[in-house]
Amino acid sequence: MFDSVTFKALHSALDGLAARQRAVANNIANVNTPGYRAQRVSFEDALAASVARGDGAVTARTARSLEPTRQDGSNVNLDTETLSNIDTVLRYQFATQAMDGQFSSIRTALKWS
Amino acid sequence: MTFDAIGIAGSALTVNRKWLDAISDNIANVNTARRTDEAAFQARYVQVEAAEGTGGVFVKADLYGSAEGRLFYDPSNPLADEDGLVRMPDIDLAQQMSALIIAQRAYAANAAVVDRARETYLAGLQIGRG
Repeated sequence: MFDSVTFKALHSALDGLAARQRAVANNIANVNTPGYRAQRVSFEDALAASVARGDGAVTARTARSLEPTRQDGSNVNLDTETLSNIDTVLRYQFATQAMDGQFSSIRTALKWS
Repeated sequence: MTFDAIGIAGSALTVNRKWLDAISDNIANVNTARRTDEAAFQARYVQVEAAEGTGGVFVKADLYGSAEGRLFYDPSNPLADEDGLVRMPDIDLAQQMSALIIAQRAYAANAAVVDRARETYLAGLQIGRG
C-alpha cells in the first residue's frame, strides 16, 4: 500500500521540490557572490518517465547554470529565482495535499462502525 | 539536509547585514580628516564566498581600501600640516551609496526567502492531518 506508484511518485516530488527550495535559497543567498554559479534542480522529466514505467521513485539532480555571468561573476537572476521560489512553495503545497489525500483514504479504509 | 532553506537564507541575512555595517561605517567616515603623517581612514569591504556543502554564504575576510587616501588643502583645519594639507579617506560616495542599495535589496530578498521556506515547512506539517 505504501509502496504504490502514487506514494513513491509523491514522495519523489516532495523530495525534489524541497531540494529545489534549498537550491533557490542558496542562489538568492549568493546573488552578489563573485564567481557563484546558480544551481538548477531537475526531476520532473525523470519522474514522468519513471511513472510511465510503473515505478515512481527518482532522485533529483542538481546542476550548475551555464547562463552568462554578470560583471561581478555571479549568474544568479533574482527575478527568475523569486518566481521559482514562489512556484515551488505552491507546488509543494499541492503535493502535500495530494499526499494528505492518500493518507485520508487509508484512514477511511481503517475505520469501521 | 533537505529542510535548511531558512538556515541558508539566514546566513545571507548575516552577510548582508555585515556588508551594510561596513558601508555605513564608510559613509559615516567619508569626511574624516587625519594628519598627513597618519594613515587615512580606510574603507572596509567584505569579501564573501559561497559555503559549499552546507549551503549559504559567509564573510571570508574584511578587506581595506587605500591607507594613503588623498591629500586635501584645508589650512583652517587644526590637523593641517605646514603646507595646509590634511589626509582625507579615498572613498567614492556614489559607489558606497549604490552598494548600500544592492545590500539592502539583497537583505530584503533573503528575508522573503525565509517567509517562503516557512510556508513550505508548514505545508509539510499538514501531511496526515486531513
